[in-house]
Amino acid sequence: MQPLRTKLFKGMNLTVFSLVMVFLYIPILILIIFSFNDARIVTGWQGFTLKYYKQLFQNRTIQEAFWNTMLIAGLSTLISTALGILTALGLENKRFTGRKGVLALIYTPLMMPDILMGVSLALLFNFTRVNTGMFTVLIAHITFCISYTAIVIQSRLEGFDYSLVEAAADLGARPSYIFWKIKFPLMMPGIIAAALLSFTLSIDDFIITFFTSGRGFDTLPIYVEGTIRRGTITTINSLSTLMIGFTLLLVVLTKRVRKIIISAM
Amino acid sequence: MSTSRHVIAEKKRNRSSWLLSLPTVIWLTIFFLIPYLVVIIYSFLTPDTYDVKFEVSFDAYRQIISGGYLKSFFQSFKLASITTLLCILLGFPVAYYIARANEKLKNILLIFIIIPFWTNLIIRIFSWRIFLSYSGVMNQMLMGAGLISQPLEILRTNTAVVLVMVYVYLPYMILPLYSVLEKLDFTLLQAAMDLGANEVKSFFKITLPLSVEGIFAGTLLVFIPALGAYLIPQLVGNQKSLYVGQIITYKIKNIPRNWPMASALSLTLLLLVALMLLIMYGMYRYHKNRRKY
Repeated sequence: MQPLRTKLFKGMNLTVFSLVMVFLYIPILILIIFSFNDARIVTGWQGFTLKYYKQLFQNRTIQEAFWNTMLIAGLSTLISTALGILTALGLENKRFTGRKGVLALIYTPLMMPDILMGVSLALLFNFTRVNTGMFTVLIAHITFCISYTAIVIQSRLEGFDYSLVEAAADLGARPSYIFWKIKFPLMMPGIIAAALLSFTLSIDDFIITFFTSGRGFDTLPIYVEGTIRRGTITTINSLSTLMIGFTLLLVVLTKRVRKIIISAM
Repeated sequence: MSTSRHVIAEKKRNRSSWLLSLPTVIWLTIFFLIPYLVVIIYSFLTPDTYDVKFEVSFDAYRQIISGGYLKSFFQSFKLASITTLLCILLGFPVAYYIARANEKLKNILLIFIIIPFWTNLIIRIFSWRIFLSYSGVMNQMLMGAGLISQPLEILRTNTAVVLVMVYVYLPYMILPLYSVLEKLDFTLLQAAMDLGANEVKSFFKITLPLSVEGIFAGTLLVFIPALGAYLIPQLVGNQKSLYVGQIITYKIKNIPRNWPMASALSLTLLLLVALMLLIMYGMYRYHKNRRKY
């Protein structure tokens, strides 16, 4: 095939692409650089230091917030992925009489601004006089993760090759054997993608946690927002750099994860 | 005989589908649907300093209709629209560029788009504060280069809100656009140009109509969160003209609390989103029908 004569657009697209890349990465780069800057406020370069990283590892509140975040993300990922797997298997049956209703129920939360889920859960917990804390945050995180896990796993099942299952059945394999030995392993990439997605969503969430956490239970985003509000920002840069580093490590180093992420998007 | 066995098997399959979906259905009913009922009930109650009084009142809705809050709805709507438009304008060339790249490069470029997306939201907003602030990096660079003599005051303006919202939501526009453009049959473009259409004409006649689905999906993914944003206007926006998300949050968190007002505002926001979805759906249907003929 002869190449398209689209010089004009090609040049324009490359230009916009490069500009967007700069736009996406400049703030992050500055943040990383300034985490090593020996200045109390962010005004110019004052010399290299690691003291904010040291402070970070001495700060009890940050460590507690970190472990809270991991606990909530881990548990909500586990539960929402399990619920997602069950739902996806239920939706696999195209003649399922409740299929449309269940799909509508899963998709609706995605079409609403996060803040509405935060408000509605906050009022539910007030109405039922439930004390807010770790437990309510966990419930909230599972609630917003379910939709994502169910959809990701379900869309993976859509392109499922049933000939393997049929072949196994023809050869006399029992249903439980077929499920655990054939179907489940084939579902695995979808399950991993769903779990990764809900883990990141949980770590990232501010607003829903803000409405459901009450005093005394801080996750990292809640802690960071509070610190920015109080104006004591010196450790935030180093904390942020470590968190960015963690993401990069996860995305760049593991080829498998990268592939799964791309296919999940 | 065999048909009745078939019917029984079908029934059994249907029942197991119900059982498998049941945990999620129960969960979302209790923690997603019922909470909205509570919001509806609370919007008709009387505010109290720390809680609500269970006395019926229509004050919240009266206040919304009488005007004061409409301004902030209008502003949120305006800024979210501008953000969406800018995301389309910037996202299209980027998605197109990635879709036309070779296989190997494609994956790397996609990862570049996704990395910021997997970086903590609050941290990305915070980094813009460092960049834009009065004595921040951008002003120092511009002054150092002699382009400006006085620091620009961008932080705490609507410009900053739009800038950061575009920054945060752009990947949500690029990814759905990419997935339609990737499937686009570029031989159509080739044919159009062989027949003498120039680049601009073939873009408007072929590329754009065929990528409408991506634009719709991206618009939903950008506009809705942008409309309900709290963190971005709170951290970089002008605190004199508040965003809807900020007002709702203040009414819930700050004392004296006004939960009926927060509820009524939330329901208004919900109504606005539902209306948007309906309009978008209508436009989408119209577009699809027209393409058939």
